[in-house]
Amino acid sequence: METFDIIFYLFALITVGSACIVVFSKNIVYAAFSLLFTFFGVAGLYVLLQADFLAVTQVLVYVGGILTLLLFGVMLTNKVISVDMKTGTLHAVPAMILAAVVFGSLAGLFYATWSGVTAPASSIISTARPIGEMLMTGYALPFEVASVILLVAMIGAAFMARRPKKL
Amino acid sequence: MSVPLPYYLGLSAVLFAIGVIGVLTRRNVIVVFMSIELMLNSVNLTLVAYSSFLGDVSGQALVFFVMAVAAAEAAVGLALVIALFRNKQTVNIDQINILKW
Amino acid sequence: MNIPVTPGDLLAIGPISVMFAGALVVLLAESIFRNGEAWNRWLALAGFLAAGTVAFLNTGWSGVAFGGTVATGGFANYCAIVYASAGALSVLLSTDYLRKTGIAFGEYYALLMIAVLGMMLMGAALDLVVFFLGLETMSIAFYVLAAFARSQGTSNESGLKYFLLGAFATGFLLYGIALVYGTTGTTSIPLIRDKAPSLIGTPVFTIGLALILIGLLFKIAAVPFHMWAPDVYEGAPTPVSGFMATGGKAAAFAAFLVLFRPEVLGGEKGLRDVIAVVAAASMIFGNVVAIAQSSIKRMLAYSSIAHAGYILVGVVAANATGANGVLFYLMAYTVMNIGAFGVLAMVENGAGENLHFEDYAGLSAQAPVLSLMMALFMFSLAGVPPFAGFFGKYYVFAGAIQAGYTWLAIVGVLMSVVSAYYYLRLVVMMYFTAASASPRRVGKSSAGLLALGIAVAALVYLGLFPSTIIDVTSRFF
Repeated sequence: METFDIIFYLFALITVGSACIVVFSKNIVYAAFSLLFTFFGVAGLYVLLQADFLAVTQVLVYVGGILTLLLFGVMLTNKVISVDMKTGTLHAVPAMILAAVVFGSLAGLFYATWSGVTAPASSIISTARPIGEMLMTGYALPFEVASVILLVAMIGAAFMARRPKKL
Repeated sequence: MSVPLPYYLGLSAVLFAIGVIGVLTRRNVIVVFMSIELMLNSVNLTLVAYSSFLGDVSGQALVFFVMAVAAAEAAVGLALVIALFRNKQTVNIDQINILKW
Repeated sequence: MNIPVTPGDLLAIGPISVMFAGALVVLLAESIFRNGEAWNRWLALAGFLAAGTVAFLNTGWSGVAFGGTVATGGFANYCAIVYASAGALSVLLSTDYLRKTGIAFGEYYALLMIAVLGMMLMGAALDLVVFFLGLETMSIAFYVLAAFARSQGTSNESGLKYFLLGAFATGFLLYGIALVYGTTGTTSIPLIRDKAPSLIGTPVFTIGLALILIGLLFKIAAVPFHMWAPDVYEGAPTPVSGFMATGGKAAAFAAFLVLFRPEVLGGEKGLRDVIAVVAAASMIFGNVVAIAQSSIKRMLAYSSIAHAGYILVGVVAANATGANGVLFYLMAYTVMNIGAFGVLAMVENGAGENLHFEDYAGLSAQAPVLSLMMALFMFSLAGVPPFAGFFGKYYVFAGAIQAGYTWLAIVGVLMSVVSAYYYLRLVVMMYFTAASASPRRVGKSSAGLLALGIAVAALVYLGLFPSTIIDVTSRFF
């Protein structure tokens, strides 16, 4: 087993383990913090796949933006001191069996389809430049639409979170 | 690069399954939302793995857009949660029952 | 790879550019003028009319823009006209409703316009990335619109429920896009279509398509992905429900026609049969459950599930007749369903009451014009000739029979008969039942009446001359 394999398994373990804590932990603050490790684990896997730009973006957007937002949500909707922060589960067993069977067989299918295929060692040194060129040429329209999505999110979030005033 | 492609794909399928289980089983809206983020991360991992394997950068550009959309959804979703919490003082799905779930 | 993007591209996607400019103007007006809402309704109306006109003038030709990621003219513009008319009618029907429920904020119109922008992108998309972003633009605007009455618990819940389930469905849709990208190596829809015949039978490709299908079936509220629709439509402000049930559904169906072209669907026999079963289940479930409803808003929500089933029949047919039928049905359904929700919005009072069947008892004596229009919408929804709803059903069922899905057409016809029961029940309630003791005040809104009048005129016109649309749409396939 090479060093590279060990690193892969390490990141895979971090990702899956912390994802399990997110889903199965009874404490919502633990869940939010282990989500941090999932995001970092995925970022590490991006590095292994030579997606350096996305690895950095993953850390900036998910950890710096979305996770912070989620923590705000946790703190604003739970009276931290008085109310217990335990969260229950509902119809757990059938859901787990269903999901495990469906996606377990999907994983098996991937193995059957592409077993032994490894990612070619690409000649790309950095992916930031090709992605940037892509956004300015072939994906120019999606790039502009992304700005519309962020605009509508801003309008919506500001409108919903504002305290209602009487007309 | 000795780790085969199906390992990455299988890992992301597992991650996706964990996210689906979370959405289906948890009651707290914010935990459900975190589980949805897990699903999106698993999709991103699939896309990056394919992109690297195909030597085609467009999959990574798609991941970039997914991240932008995830951020927008997070902002709107939490604003909705906060608006609801202000009216009802709960974030548990089964207590949100003016309309039947 | 170097595809230069020119200002000409922005002109080529005219309706979309107009929508975006309109949304920005509306936002600016909201911040500049004191009574921004009063300005915005006219600005938004002008925007929708302008986008519709631009789209109408350019239906005769078709091409691509932005390096082949988006289609222009033809099919895309026909869809744009449907969405722009849904938007314009919604604006006219909303103004009075927003005022009486105390949610007259200018952001409403900006969100409507951005939602329509997203729909137009879905109809025009030639790349999975554009399709996905269009869908999300529309969805995020819908989440906020559903929760727009932000101090009302029901509206909040409706928005949050739609958001959580919508984001969940987005996860499946994206996973499907990822698998399709992995097997074809591209996100371009025409290229995927070219490669599809050689990939038929590859399990991962089929699973990818199936996951995309789940995402779309969720958006059109087809059984078994319908559970959100009654709650969301009931909780959302009434004009928003009408807009989501028509425009949102039409956008998802346009994406169906783009993604599941005959060359893809024809090969994927299993997938096609799954869609056929979903269509039958939606028609049966929607119509049977609608009978049991006492709230008209909820009845219309279940009826929209049933109509999603009828329109899916045209998708299953995967031939020109079916596709023309889908496009005709989308236009007819938009007009009649927005009309029905519009009448609801006018009869509803500021506290969200007067939404039940018994509240409509003897309405014809009090509001004869409104009752007549509601009756016409109900006839059309039930598929009574000579209204537009009849020809919509006729074309999709004819397409299904041509494609060998006779059983599906039979289910559809039988279920239309069942649906007549609850649609006509409302008509009977309005015309042949004595008014209840408590007097009810019916809102008088000239803008709303104008919109309803236009809707009725369109229904009758499309019912008498269905070829005006079929002649246009048959050039697309």
